[in-house]
Amino acid sequence: MIETRENFEYLKIQHSRPSPTLKGGFMPDRIARVIVGVVFLTLAAWMIPTTNWAATLYAKKDDVKVNAEKSPTSAVVATLALGDAVTVLSEEGRHAKVKTATGKTGWVFKFRLAEEKPSTGGGGLGLSGLTGRKTIAARESRAGGSIRGLKESTEQYAKAKNIKQEDRDAVDHMEAFSIAPDELMQFKKAGNLGEFSGGVQ
Amino acid sequence: MNIGKILASATILSLLLSSMGCGGSPSGQSSQQTDLIGGLGAALGIKQQKIDLLKKGVGVVQAMEPIGEEEEITLGEAVAVEAFSRFGGEYSNPAWTRYINLVGKTVAEVSDRPTLNYHFAILNSQEQNAFAAPGGYIFITVGLLKTLNNEAELAGVLAHEIAHVTQKHMLDAIRRGALMGSVSELSLTAMKQDPAMFSSVIDEMTDLLFTKGLDKDKEFEADVVGVEYAYRAGYNPQGLEDYLQTLAKEEGHVESKFFTTHPSTTLRISKIDTLLKDYSDIKNLPFLTERFHQYVKAG
Repeated sequence: MIETRENFEYLKIQHSRPSPTLKGGFMPDRIARVIVGVVFLTLAAWMIPTTNWAATLYAKKDDVKVNAEKSPTSAVVATLALGDAVTVLSEEGRHAKVKTATGKTGWVFKFRLAEEKPSTGGGGLGLSGLTGRKTIAARESRAGGSIRGLKESTEQYAKAKNIKQEDRDAVDHMEAFSIAPDELMQFKKAGNLGEFSGGVQ
Repeated sequence: MNIGKILASATILSLLLSSMGCGGSPSGQSSQQTDLIGGLGAALGIKQQKIDLLKKGVGVVQAMEPIGEEEEITLGEAVAVEAFSRFGGEYSNPAWTRYINLVGKTVAEVSDRPTLNYHFAILNSQEQNAFAAPGGYIFITVGLLKTLNNEAELAGVLAHEIAHVTQKHMLDAIRRGALMGSVSELSLTAMKQDPAMFSSVIDEMTDLLFTKGLDKDKEFEADVVGVEYAYRAGYNPQGLEDYLQTLAKEEGHVESKFFTTHPSTTLRISKIDTLLKDYSDIKNLPFLTERFHQYVKAG
């Protein structure tokens, strides 16, 4: 409310009114109504599940599976791409029951979802903010024009610092090392980890 | 014209040029902007010294922006070369390397930067230590790996390092350095075209990582975030604290840079212990001792 002169005067009038408590019988009724209201609201709040009820969450990465059951080995009803929104219908342990933008309902391992829509680019000063150019830029920046090998800036640095070739190769091995998605899935399943954690198989 | 006015002019000019969309790409934009400042300055008859100050001002303004992912990876790769060079090179054990990558990726994919391609390697040093370079290059020494008792401890250590990457701790430190004037520009073009500047940034980073250590607050934050990542991945988040208990027994007896680059181990244990009380459902989460022994102790 904008505090105009009239409003201010009204507030002054209100303050100068005699207190209704002095009139006897009025205040207990009002207190009773307030108590009933508070109890009702408390009960209502208590009955709402402690989940992010009807909240919108977003896929944190590409290829997030929405399964028919909580089990990650159950049928896949939808696959989310990075930033895709879902509505959370309920939450049980480490899984959330969601509805996708296309109306499909299923279960997602809840740590695959973020409260804020993730940026699809790296942002900042780099080229990575431009979707689709990142891979090309990374390939272009490799020394000698090949896809494998260190970046030109790293090679220049290592040469200037007389860093041994085997230490440069070690970084190359580190970058080239990859794990197949199936192998990682089996590893998690065997250890009750990731989407298999919390007693879900 | 005093330096304040020059910097203010540089800021306005930089913002104007940004809004005009000068430059073909964001990373090429900065050098084109400084070239344009040089050209405009010369045309207006401004002395070279003042033009240089203007250019530096633009660099400072740009240093205040977040560092892009590609620049981050470029910096991280050079730091990774230094890590191998200073800590005994690569520890060649393909089975162990595969194992730490499986554990690391399990944690990384529930982190707050799951789209980054994380790389995990073992350093051939008996000193107990672990590092994270920007861009997702994560290292653990063979000395530390052999000290661990189970997979939850390994996940806890790697999760702490992953947290340094997701929270961009090293980049923040470098940006502060840039604001202090030690670095003029952190674009891809500048890194490639100015090897001396690139080298000074890497020196600054390696000095922080291997000698001085990050701020204590950043280490405590990495503990908090790391414990959360280990929990999300399904590991018992007690793992990091358990490893620190082992380490605390060695403090004062064993020489390791870990003690000079990290806050007091007992204080970290105490803080994690308090933190774990907020996790009510961790009792049944696994430590995976047997699997750890199958992979590491048997190897």
